[in-house]
Amino acid sequence: MENQTRRAFLQWMAIQMSAFFGGSLLASCGKQEPHSLQTTALPIAKPIQPTEVDPTGAPTQSEQATAEPSATPNSHPHIAVARGGEPEALVRHAVAALGGMERFVSTGNDVIIKPNVCVDFRTYEYAATTNPWVVGEIVRMCLEAGAGRVRVMDFPFGGDSESAYWNSGIQEQVLAAGGEMEPIRFLKFVETEIPNALDLKKCQIYEDVLLADVVINVPIAKHHSLARLTLGMKNLMGVIRDRPYMHGNLGQRLADLTSRVRPALTIVDAVRILQRGGPGGGRLSDVQKLDTVIASSDIVAADSYAATLFGLQPTDLSYIVSGLNMGLGRADLETMKIEDIAVGA
Amino acid sequence: MAPDSIKRSGGVSRPWTSLRKLIQALALLAFLVLFVVTRGETPGSTTNIFLRLDPLLALVNLLATKALVAGSAVALITVALTFLTGRSWCGWLCPLGTILDWIPLHRWKKGKWTPGEGWRGVKYALLLLTLFAALLGGLTLLIFDPLTILTRGLAVGVWPALDKLVTAAETALYQLPALRAPVLEVDALLRPLILPPTPGASRSAALFAGLLIGVVLLNIFAERFWCRYLCPLGALLGLMSKVALLRRRIEPGCVGCKLCTDTCPMGTINPAEDYASDPGECTMCLECLDDCPLGATTFTPVFSVDPLRAYDPGRRQVLITLGAALGGMALVRSVDAELQHPFALRPPGADPEEFYSQCVRCGQCMRACPTAALQPALTEAGIEGFWTPVLIPRIGYCDYGCNACGQVCPVEAIPPLPLELKQQQVIGRAKIDKNRCLPWAEEQDCIVCEEMCPLPEKAIELELVEVQLPTGETRILQRPVVIHDLCIGCGICEYKCPIAGEAAIRVYSSCSGGGGQGGGQGGGQGRRRGE
Repeated sequence: MENQTRRAFLQWMAIQMSAFFGGSLLASCGKQEPHSLQTTALPIAKPIQPTEVDPTGAPTQSEQATAEPSATPNSHPHIAVARGGEPEALVRHAVAALGGMERFVSTGNDVIIKPNVCVDFRTYEYAATTNPWVVGEIVRMCLEAGAGRVRVMDFPFGGDSESAYWNSGIQEQVLAAGGEMEPIRFLKFVETEIPNALDLKKCQIYEDVLLADVVINVPIAKHHSLARLTLGMKNLMGVIRDRPYMHGNLGQRLADLTSRVRPALTIVDAVRILQRGGPGGGRLSDVQKLDTVIASSDIVAADSYAATLFGLQPTDLSYIVSGLNMGLGRADLETMKIEDIAVGA
Repeated sequence: MAPDSIKRSGGVSRPWTSLRKLIQALALLAFLVLFVVTRGETPGSTTNIFLRLDPLLALVNLLATKALVAGSAVALITVALTFLTGRSWCGWLCPLGTILDWIPLHRWKKGKWTPGEGWRGVKYALLLLTLFAALLGGLTLLIFDPLTILTRGLAVGVWPALDKLVTAAETALYQLPALRAPVLEVDALLRPLILPPTPGASRSAALFAGLLIGVVLLNIFAERFWCRYLCPLGALLGLMSKVALLRRRIEPGCVGCKLCTDTCPMGTINPAEDYASDPGECTMCLECLDDCPLGATTFTPVFSVDPLRAYDPGRRQVLITLGAALGGMALVRSVDAELQHPFALRPPGADPEEFYSQCVRCGQCMRACPTAALQPALTEAGIEGFWTPVLIPRIGYCDYGCNACGQVCPVEAIPPLPLELKQQQVIGRAKIDKNRCLPWAEEQDCIVCEEMCPLPEKAIELELVEVQLPTGETRILQRPVVIHDLCIGCGICEYKCPIAGEAAIRVYSSCSGGGGQGGGQGGGQGRRRGE
């Protein structure tokens, strides 16, 4: 009799255990599903809207899904550069020249803006972090374009995100514009496959960046001793967790990361640029005030143009070369259509 | 003999006990809240108030440094309270005492061993040893102060364990899509104020929590074992209580029912002495006052010195502990600390040589440190520096934008420097191990240390060299070099160095060469927010 009950008990245990572990297994499958979906269904960045079709009849969606139609008089410029004015006006003119924020942000969109807020101990004058008014104005424009939610985030390497948001001055402008700051939650770094990668096949990426409808990349143009310059592609380092690893083969790994994140719009803040001592800066003598903002839906093109502000050729930067190889964008500044706008003070 | 008719009045009306328990709970709650918000915007002079109320820390620091810290005057409140009402700190306010009251392990007691009355002398011996050692400049024994046990035990013992548990639970639950939103909401409540913004590292948490747990476990042998027999702060307050104004007295109406003897958590009511008690042991918990069915127990003003008990320290104990302190310090000091401790990296602004005799080992700075860079020294600072804070760069770096540790230090062993001054303090100097550094040893690209250096004029420069690869081709390589005089030893280079295991760049104590300028300028501010 006692044996019987023990056996019954063991059977009951077995059923319970299998139900429990089976349930967990199922649950974990459920967890993987959206992630694998994310990794295979690639285009996170909003594709260029069909209204931008090249009237010459060239195919707009190339195999690479990257190269935009070549510039013609009737289409938007490939790069817009605004110079000489307040940061807000520079951003507004540059984005307007590209067709306005409505081209990138649709009603109800969840927008992530990724400025460079690399440390928590510098104010914007030192040009280590993106200009707060540039970021604030982008938030405002996204909301005007009908965005449902606009969040601003970066994962600093010096200090925690919340103190960096505050000390950089960015939080104040973002909140005033009606946006939100996204405090970094370690849970949201998810192991993500990068299908097109040549080197960085897997990486822990902040999931909000992957799930957002629109990612707007807002680097500040500054010096960096290995990459030479921190621009749009380098700025994407701030959405991943393990950064020291990237330095091994930086150019290619940045291109790999860019192929996964694909920001819809890159706006390079060159209101102030940092000529030396990047990324942290700290000497005003290294800062040059250029009052310039560069915008493009092509991250490689935006970076290529920004490189010239420092007297460099686009191909001087390894990540631009890798980005070209992977077909992530263009660097032929001589042939692409560039609209140069003098905003005036 | 207790007459049968006399019963404990338990549960009927115990006004004093109820009041005491309420105040105990509020004090413990206040302690925990202040402990948590030490990592936050609350001024350090508020969050460290319990430590500054501790007269043992203030006295020992005074004896060792021969200098008064203005903020320590708060301890006079406790001294005054003790001269008026005896060891009421222990019974009413001490957060560790309250925890010991709430975990009455003595009820499980199976064995027969009960510590004899002589054990009460241990705490006096510990107190005397602590005071004599302090006169000689040694503060190591403050690791046994109840508030340092609790603060340190929580900061680098219990909290890291809590962080591990919460992180594991969060990570597991986050796998379930339905739970993601609530898990994130809970995470937002916990981080960064209660737990570190990203799960923190720690070391030897078991050791620091272990002392705290050990103190609690001693409750098995006797109620409030720690407070009765071991606590050096209790001993100090006990000595003062010998002349306290308010003391327990037995009125003639006492019939010897022994209720008070049984109920006294300190076990100090002695039937053999007509139910008198030692004011040096009594924590003024007032259980006996509420219990006495005949109202024969009273607490009234007394102007006299209470007679010494057998376990109270006499001339012999004083001489023995003095000798032990002298011998102990001589043994500890027989090693030249400067030469032996290359990794005794002190918090910014602290004087590396004076620190041994200034730091009260409380662990408050370790709670405040947002990167968990400050950890109790195990071997880094020798026996004399045991459990003093040292920067362990592989665990965390000294954030260039943070000056929290100096703001919370209760004795200003870490001076409360404004951020601009703190950023100039030399903690140590970094050195590159060229046998391990990637560009030096393996001709690979890596500039992480240079990139991370937060100084306006970077203390790490990159040398351009042309190297020949095994394939025969040549290429330009950047190799990091530390500029010794610029480095402040914040350790972010060592923290971020991508080499596995020990970093290829390490910060060494600046004691031997140059040294950090100690000496504090007051007028500190909290962790900087904006401009």
